[in-house]
Amino acid sequence: MSRVERRATPRVAASKGVAFSKSPVLAVNVPSWRSRVVLFVLFAAFVALAARALWLQGVSTQFLQKQGKSRYERLVELPAARGKIMDRHGQVLASSLPVKAVAAFPKEVLKEPNDKLAELARLLEMPETELRAKLDPKKTYVYLKRQVEMDAVEKIEKLKIDGIDTRKEYKRYYPQGEVMTHLVGFTNVEDKGQEGMELFHQKALMGVPGSRRVIRDRLGHIAEDLGMFREPHHGKDLTLSVDSKLQYIAFTSVKNAVEKFNAQAGGAVVLDVETGEVLAMANYPTYNPNDRSNLTGAQLRNRVITDTFEPGSTIKPVTVALGLETKRITPDTVFDTNPGYIMVTGKRIRDTHNYGVRNVGGIIQKSSNIGVVKISQMIPPQEMWEMYTKLGYGQAPRFGFPGATAGRVRPWKSWKPIEYANMAFGHGLSVSLLQMARSYMIFARNGDIIPLSFLKVDEKPVGQQVISPKTAAQVRTMLESVVSPEGTASKAQVPGYRVGGKTGTAEKIVNGHYSRTDNIGYFVGIAPMSKPRFIIAVMIDNPRGALRTGGSVAAPTAADLAANALRAANVPPDSSITDIIIPDEPVEESL
Amino acid sequence: MSVKLNILLTAAVVGCALSVVNARYQSRHLLIELERLNQHARQLEIDWAQLQLDQSTLGKNERIEQIARTSLNMSPLTPARTQYLTDGAK
Repeated sequence: MSRVERRATPRVAASKGVAFSKSPVLAVNVPSWRSRVVLFVLFAAFVALAARALWLQGVSTQFLQKQGKSRYERLVELPAARGKIMDRHGQVLASSLPVKAVAAFPKEVLKEPNDKLAELARLLEMPETELRAKLDPKKTYVYLKRQVEMDAVEKIEKLKIDGIDTRKEYKRYYPQGEVMTHLVGFTNVEDKGQEGMELFHQKALMGVPGSRRVIRDRLGHIAEDLGMFREPHHGKDLTLSVDSKLQYIAFTSVKNAVEKFNAQAGGAVVLDVETGEVLAMANYPTYNPNDRSNLTGAQLRNRVITDTFEPGSTIKPVTVALGLETKRITPDTVFDTNPGYIMVTGKRIRDTHNYGVRNVGGIIQKSSNIGVVKISQMIPPQEMWEMYTKLGYGQAPRFGFPGATAGRVRPWKSWKPIEYANMAFGHGLSVSLLQMARSYMIFARNGDIIPLSFLKVDEKPVGQQVISPKTAAQVRTMLESVVSPEGTASKAQVPGYRVGGKTGTAEKIVNGHYSRTDNIGYFVGIAPMSKPRFIIAVMIDNPRGALRTGGSVAAPTAADLAANALRAANVPPDSSITDIIIPDEPVEESL
Repeated sequence: MSVKLNILLTAAVVGCALSVVNARYQSRHLLIELERLNQHARQLEIDWAQLQLDQSTLGKNERIEQIARTSLNMSPLTPARTQYLTDGAK
């Protein structure tokens, strides 16, 4: 449209030569309030804007500031590792290393060429069919494999497969494997303790991941640190009381014994007499904590601490100690065990042989049931029950270990005379091997008992006096006589060292009855006798060979263990006898 | 007088601005360096844990005994063939 044409437009007044002020539209008489209304509305709109601005800038600032921050701030996860578990000399027993979980978006991954998927399957160490089964296109996100080691993850990342996602996690490694596993325990895939010390100290070991607020630049570098959002807390390291070397010695001793005597299982525990620390706790059969795919209950069972058994003859020194302590007997008191059995309320209690007339030491040395029953008949049941309680039998254990059993001692008021007689030689009550070992503290120390610890102890604990030092010394002499060619534990003799202890054999209870065929052999010993360092307890469950009693299966195992342990701990020998005599037909204790 | 003062103040302002830019640059630079070193420290910690594990695995009593028995032909000592020396004894 040209200028000329516009000038010629007849509809605009100006084009007709009429001035603006003369425009007829202006002549229309409009009421004056209308302009005021417009002015007011405009003014009100500006006021509203100003108020809103003031509101956003001055009063309600949080929301927008938060929104703004979320557009440039990033939260960076600060990982926290689970604490290490170490033995008393600082050797690592359990440690976590970062690994990655490999996950996938199936739809995207399935678009990749076949050879890449085959390579992925190979790196994940799974058959390709299994990988394809996992890549279900109906699912949006699937884990392919967890806890993949970093080497493999790097190779997988190099394949540049679309839709593969990796997530940081930790994997727990147990370098000592099956030797230490019943003590240390293990964690699950979420790094949570499941067994042993890993379970009991879960709270302390666990790390709490933190996070940090940062601003990243275009290249992903952190450009500005806005401070800590949540402080990461690494898990605390745990130093156990266990000694790797002694643990290995205990483990091999038990393992060899189980194989040699064709037994179902075995267990051993070594305690430090001075500090109450558990230096070794071995179980066989066992399992590898690094590969738990074929785990059975029998392998998992910690027989030292969660199983109870009837202590059998190993409890006899306790009965005798109480008799000595209450001055009802002296070491020279003699008892007539003729004719090899005793009737208690119509029931017969027998010895394996007729031991004739013996003093208290002889009763312990030959492990005479009759002698111990006669001693117990001089002691009121309540006193015996109090003794058991002081020693921790039937008491909730405070060992700091999950699943530790209390054992079972019935209240003394319900004891019938025959039951009390049975208890005197260890039947009709049950304890764990660890409880039994701990109760021998009163003999190994000077009559006091101290709490046990699975963690390294810096300060020597204060003991609770149970019997007098004199009684303890008297019982020690008797225990040493048991480990002599004339005693029931002749096979527990250790060349170069004086050892004392007591054997025990108990018939296993199968379907509520004592089994004639299945039994358990024990030995609880103290070494060396001149200055006790260790309490060693061994349990051999259901030996099926020719040798079946505690004296013939558990005692030699304990001797083997003690010999190696004393040497490993640099304990100077306290005996010049190096060639030990084991009689052809050693004395067997009665059941 | 007032012109000179303005020039002086302008120069001061520009100088300050430049120094702010420089300080900012330096701080970013140092932060990246710090970040890198932190990363390095974390990696070293992981390496240390790995080495501790290796030490424990290689120092396993089972392995030592195996090697001592088979490749070094050693056998456990017995008190019968041990000479004990007592400190201070003549």
